[in-house]
Amino acid sequence: MDESELIKGIQQGDRKAFRLLVETYQRMVVNTCFGIVHSMADAEDLAQDVFLEIFRTAGNFRGDSKISTWLYRIATNRSLNFVRNKKRKGFFQSLEETFTGGKNRNSEISENRSDQPDHNITDSQRKDLLHRAIDQLPEKQRIAFTLNKYEDLPYQQIAEIMEISLASVESLIHRAKKNLQEQLLDCYKKKCV
Amino acid sequence: MKHESIHKDLIFYLDNELPEEKRTAIENHLEGCADCRSFLVFIKEEMQIIEKEKNPEASPYFFARLYARLDERPEFMPQGLWIRLAQPAFFSMLLIAGIYGGLRLGSNASSGIINQEPASTIQLMNDFEAEPIESFLLDEL
Ligand SMILES: [Zn+2]
Repeated sequence: MDESELIKGIQQGDRKAFRLLVETYQRMVVNTCFGIVHSMADAEDLAQDVFLEIFRTAGNFRGDSKISTWLYRIATNRSLNFVRNKKRKGFFQSLEETFTGGKNRNSEISENRSDQPDHNITDSQRKDLLHRAIDQLPEKQRIAFTLNKYEDLPYQQIAEIMEISLASVESLIHRAKKNLQEQLLDCYKKKCV
Repeated sequence: MKHESIHKDLIFYLDNELPEEKRTAIENHLEGCADCRSFLVFIKEEMQIIEKEKNPEASPYFFARLYARLDERPEFMPQGLWIRLAQPAFFSMLLIAGIYGGLRLGSNASSGIINQEPASTIQLMNDFEAEPIESFLLDEL
């Protein structure tokens, strides 16, 4: 079944076609979301939202780009929205905790960590540091970097997904790496891990 | 070469994105500088996290949960399909309503016209006679 047949099937509500689409692209969509939200549970929820959106709006698919391009766009948009909302919620939660004297979440995390063996501490701290550094990147740099590093996409394909020029992609990824390096160097100097 | 200029190129060195000349210069510096080597290891381990964590194994219940969500919400029916199903239904209902309305109007016209409509028409005519439009306009002035 080629891409246009697959889309036609989904437009007609064919569950078999939909299942084939999900089976083909599940890894790709989950991994893209995961690169941005850093949590497997959240990435799976978002990937499901992406596929449900595809099922619902298959009639709008123009067919002038590949299905994967369409999926990458929805997956990155939804993941960024999710991170934005989480940030907003986190801000109000910390504000609330300041006023109500609620439990500090950081202390919970360090309590949990003390139970784990030594090598895990380093590994999870390393992960935390990398994720925090990625989260600090401006959104366009984050998308370009994630598609390149997590999905191993060539710059040309990233340019198509983001609807920007090849030179812009090169510049975004270059700046993303520079920013990450700066943050990692800063942490290295301060021995923050 | 200064340590700072080495530090800011190491991520590109790791990704093999530097011209040959710069690459050799960095390698020469690294041989004699433990601090830059140590940062190289640090940044390499950080970037390797991506290789280790990417493409995580999806839950075996992914499909089951997806289908459950598909079934619990009828609005997840494809939009094209909705239109294809809803349009004929809508126009059939419009047609039935039209026929029914026509029948009602027809039966009203045959039975009600004698009893009600003349009375209201006379009332309206009388109102006009009682208050001619000319005098209404004159009042305004
Ligand atoms: Zn050095």
